Amino acid sequence: MGDANTVLDAASARHLLRRTGFGAAPKNLQRILDGGLTRGQAADQLIAFKGKNFTPKGKYIDNAHDRWVKFMIKAKYPLQEKLVLFWHDHFATSNVKVQNVRTMGLQIRLMHIMCKGSFKDFVKAMNRDAAMIEFLDTVRNHKDIPNENYARELQELFTLGVHDFAGNPNYKQEDIVQIARALTGWDYEYNTGISRFHDYDHDYNADFLADRGPKVIYQSTGGFGAGGRAFDVNGEGAQEIDTVIDIIFDHTDTNGKNTVARRTARRLLEYFAHPINDPISPADVAVVDQVVAESGFDANWNIGGLLRAIFVNDAFYETAAPEPFTGSTKKSVKWPIDYVVTTLRLLGVNLASKFPYVDGGDYQRIRDQLTSMGQTLLEPPSVFGWDWESSWISSATLLARYNFATDIVSARNGSKSTAFHPERFIQLTLTDPDDILAAVTDALGITDQLTAAERNALVDYLTDGGANPTLDLNDYDTRNRKLHGLFALVLQSPAYQLH
Amino acid sequence: MAITRRQFIKRTGAVAAGTLLGPSLFSNPLLRKALADTIGDRYFIVVYLDGGNDGLNTVTPATNGGGTLRDAYDAARLTGGGGLNLSPGDLASTHIGTDPNTGAQIALHPGLIGLKNLWDLGKLAVVQGCGYPDYSLSHDQSRSIWQTANPLGLTGGWVGRYLAANYGGSEIPAVNIADSVVGEFKTAATSIITLDRLEDFGFPYDEFDGGSDDGFKRTAFLALCNAASGNAQSVVKYIGDSGNATLLGSESYPGLHSLYENDRGTIWDPQYDAVGRSLANDLREVAKVIYGVTQGVPNVNARFFQVRNGGYDTHSDQGAAQTDGQHYGLHRELGDSLNVFYQDCADMGVANKVCIVVWSEFSRRIQQNDSGTDHGSQAPVFVIGGAVRGGPSGGSHGGVYGNHPNIDDTALDDEGNTVYKQGADPFRSTDLRDVYGTILKHWLGMTDPGDVLTADGGDPDFYWTSPNFDLGFL
Repeated sequence: MGDANTVLDAASARHLLRRTGFGAAPKNLQRILDGGLTRGQAADQLIAFKGKNFTPKGKYIDNAHDRWVKFMIKAKYPLQEKLVLFWHDHFATSNVKVQNVRTMGLQIRLMHIMCKGSFKDFVKAMNRDAAMIEFLDTVRNHKDIPNENYARELQELFTLGVHDFAGNPNYKQEDIVQIARALTGWDYEYNTGISRFHDYDHDYNADFLADRGPKVIYQSTGGFGAGGRAFDVNGEGAQEIDTVIDIIFDHTDTNGKNTVARRTARRLLEYFAHPINDPISPADVAVVDQVVAESGFDANWNIGGLLRAIFVNDAFYETAAPEPFTGSTKKSVKWPIDYVVTTLRLLGVNLASKFPYVDGGDYQRIRDQLTSMGQTLLEPPSVFGWDWESSWISSATLLARYNFATDIVSARNGSKSTAFHPERFIQLTLTDPDDILAAVTDALGITDQLTAAERNALVDYLTDGGANPTLDLNDYDTRNRKLHGLFALVLQSPAYQLH
Repeated sequence: MAITRRQFIKRTGAVAAGTLLGPSLFSNPLLRKALADTIGDRYFIVVYLDGGNDGLNTVTPATNGGGTLRDAYDAARLTGGGGLNLSPGDLASTHIGTDPNTGAQIALHPGLIGLKNLWDLGKLAVVQGCGYPDYSLSHDQSRSIWQTANPLGLTGGWVGRYLAANYGGSEIPAVNIADSVVGEFKTAATSIITLDRLEDFGFPYDEFDGGSDDGFKRTAFLALCNAASGNAQSVVKYIGDSGNATLLGSESYPGLHSLYENDRGTIWDPQYDAVGRSLANDLREVAKVIYGVTQGVPNVNARFFQVRNGGYDTHSDQGAAQTDGQHYGLHRELGDSLNVFYQDCADMGVANKVCIVVWSEFSRRIQQNDSGTDHGSQAPVFVIGGAVRGGPSGGSHGGVYGNHPNIDDTALDDEGNTVYKQGADPFRSTDLRDVYGTILKHWLGMTDPGDVLTADGGDPDFYWTSPNFDLGFL
């Protein structure tokens, strides 16, 4: 057990780096250990990033996709990218429907800007985000032809959740209808992505009228009492969609706790710490309430503060140590994008060409490889985002990961920056297979994650089943066969699919 | 996907994950159990004609019968240079059944010699006028609608939804001869192998030294998977189990090539080679897998397949009956390939166990342009197999099901395309979901196809509000 003042050991430091970034690079690990950093100090340093307001652009969506992946591979502050990926999943918007590279890019830019600031401001900004207005049909939501899509998902997915922790509904159908009315009158300019409120009081086109009538929500949920909350100060117009958010963020659940704060904290815990079962266990509820209380998230809505509370909590470090795995240890599966970017970053391998691929294997475009692994950025499968954890894994997606691993280690002949150079990570004078294995797992940041059986399997591989107890890595053939082979096996190992 | 270097000869294959589009309908185990239907010992093959095949010059009225289809056809499809008119003489040797609505004599394009042969054998059914409401002229959008069978929104593919309901994550029930999982097979809940050629498919070893280290790599990989399989944590165990299954699958499939070549190549390779086109070669890969299943090759259980053929976007130089024309060549490729494949299956003893469905994302405009045709709407679908009610004695109109679209100039919409009709209209269209539903119910053993096909709301004259999963061709 520990707290913010607990000094990080190697396993915990690697865990922190893996979860908050793309892999535990030896030099970053060393910095934490040399500095004797505590959980709190390390978390503060990570969260303090002054990130870039990156905008994925391109003629086609796959160009934007590739630029974003390349940006992640070079990103100075990987936590920013990990957060943007979380929000991209949370506010899942797909270009398959939006069909506008520019507005999709602007949404990802917005997420870069808002990713660790005020969650309340973030949701208000998403209300007005052009890609979202298109994706969830706000643009098709008019006084006389209401469309409830956004009003439903705003509550179900972005803020409240369908049920609270006690299993009681957080809202009713009538609340969806009322909120949809508040969201009428909006559209956006296709080329600029600028969203606009149309106060068409005198417009002959009644279809596009904003609904200005009185509205009341949460008369039976939310802890507002039988009167609910009205947000129809007549003539409020464009401000109504902000008022709606203010009310939603005041919503309390049947335990009397702030509903949005609890659900958001739970989601971030699931993403950064470990999977949480449904219905949520009392122990997990306690963790959620603890990080909300410690950070004051239910009043200040500061995402960075909530992250700090998570990154110093024991729950976050529960899966840092590998042994012994028990039925209750909740290991987490790397997302495909995490698998790819982590590997490229740790091994210092750059993608080649304008249609980027790993410079080995059969030059399959990285976007196609990610699609085969089950994740096409900017095209989440639905408004629910991607299914996490074991849903990432099938024979199908695994072979895509295995292919990628083999592509990396066979990138022998590319340019200096696109080729794989194992000698950068390991002294070729090493001859003991245990030392060689340790050097490779250190480079890939999972030294603490291998079980004894897995280590034995890999040592057996290096020694050809014990036949050759030492290796001469200065020998070209031995190095290319066994050292490249070992890297591939570790990248393909079950342990490396987890983090 | 070309093999670019010798050392990568074994890794052009990929098993790709389908992406689940839409809510995880089948993550609920109760629902999954309720849908546990079975294809049994049968096979299902989807053939996709990419680009929008001109249905009007595929399934063509040779006479008026009791209506005016032929007159309308002659008014729109011109004769002479660039003309696309298939004359009654051109069609004389490829007559099939009659149009259920007008009684017009229906004929296949003269290039579809292979399909005519299957018709004569009673193995080909033609479903005319298949489409969906509010049709799209976009290749992407219309293809996606045919694949999801859901004009209303985004969900997984129609075959994929069936597979997700009936197969687990480590099973491999389907093979696509493609670079990645095709739309109608998309699903998150099971594994689909995508490959180009079986002999090139396999576990991706780094082939630095020509494979001499592969045995050690394999041993180590299996040991890693087995270590994970023994783990107390379910997610670790799942990754270990799946890795194990993946390796075994990747080892079982490449051998299907040599198995087929050894046992059947002498007789059948020359026949596929005589067609000499990519569709024939792709279908031969499917035949190899089917043969492997019939021979009980371990870890080979695929029963669902997809192949595609491209080139149907004939905006210009389409050609009519000329044997050197573009469309004629495509039809020869399609008919001849399917004919050989069917004969091959018959020779394997599974004629009555295969069902092939051929579709395209739309038909083409009735009124031709200079020398080609622009995007259209409802299109014919072919259904082929030993158990299909096809050919001269297939049904009341032979194996012709569904009405020919109304191509009379006065009946066309603003785009100049035929109109999707439901209700009591004499030219009522066949909704693609009725076609799929009939296959799901009568071939894939699904008790209620309504579980994966959702009816429309809206005007029953223009929307699919009353499903009919008994079209009769199966």
